[in-house]
Amino acid sequence: MTEVTQQISRVLIKAPIQDVWNALTKEGEVLPFFFGSVMHTTGLKPGAQLRMRTPNGKFTGVVGEILECNPPYRFVHTFRFTNFDDPPCVVIYELKEVEGGVEFTLISDKVPVGTKTEKNMAQGGPFITGVLKSLVETGRPSLGKRMLLCMISLMGPLSPARCRSEHWPLDRKV
Amino acid sequence: MDAVFLALSSQTRRKMLDLIQDMPGCSVGDVAKYFDCSRIMVMKHLDTLTAADLLISRKVGRRRELFFNAVPIQMIHDRWTTEYSRFWATRAIDLKHMLESRQQKVDP
Repeated sequence: MTEVTQQISRVLIKAPIQDVWNALTKEGEVLPFFFGSVMHTTGLKPGAQLRMRTPNGKFTGVVGEILECNPPYRFVHTFRFTNFDDPPCVVIYELKEVEGGVEFTLISDKVPVGTKTEKNMAQGGPFITGVLKSLVETGRPSLGKRMLLCMISLMGPLSPARCRSEHWPLDRKV
Repeated sequence: MDAVFLALSSQTRRKMLDLIQDMPGCSVGDVAKYFDCSRIMVMKHLDTLTAADLLISRKVGRRRELFFNAVPIQMIHDRWTTEYSRFWATRAIDLKHMLESRQQKVDP
């Protein structure tokens, strides 16, 4: 058995819970908080397939399967980077209404210890949480993050061949 | 943000965050082992970290699991850095670490 760990990122988002949920589960549109990817699914329901693709659809960075979908409170899916051979982990998004907004929690569960996936999840958690906050509160990511997203989009053509979307069709289970 | 700086202004609390980051899901007891002070004092420090949102404690059955939350620190970082300054700051820090590791000095 691979040793696994858990990472948690949490932030208060000053917005209605439905706005946070809608931003989080938006399909077919660029998601700045998810590194400028576009989410594709076969439906927001357990058992559905999920892919995170580049805006032009050519590359797929993340694949997974939806495990739970309870709008607007909880969204859970498996998560695997297409460019690593690591086992999949589980991503849990929890939204809770609190005084002054929504307590947004991102839990990366079953993260394999000592892998590239672990390193990427540790950096990705605070990024996703922070950008989602500024996106929902102000309508756009902060300036520094916009510059970073611009750089990421320029790096698309450098993705390895194994990340090409034809290897990761939506109609095949991962 | 005041709460974050207050929480980080103590060497003991910084050490606690180091430990919790290395042992995600650890208990208060796991943390207390590393300190000479009373459990009440440890709890007080953990409360200060929780108030700053640097610490997340989740109840799992009867156990309380502790996790480090990097988001408040990331927000401080975002406020005062740009991609450009980060690039050069990282180079400067790398150089510092490279030179200092030769001297075997550890920053408290």
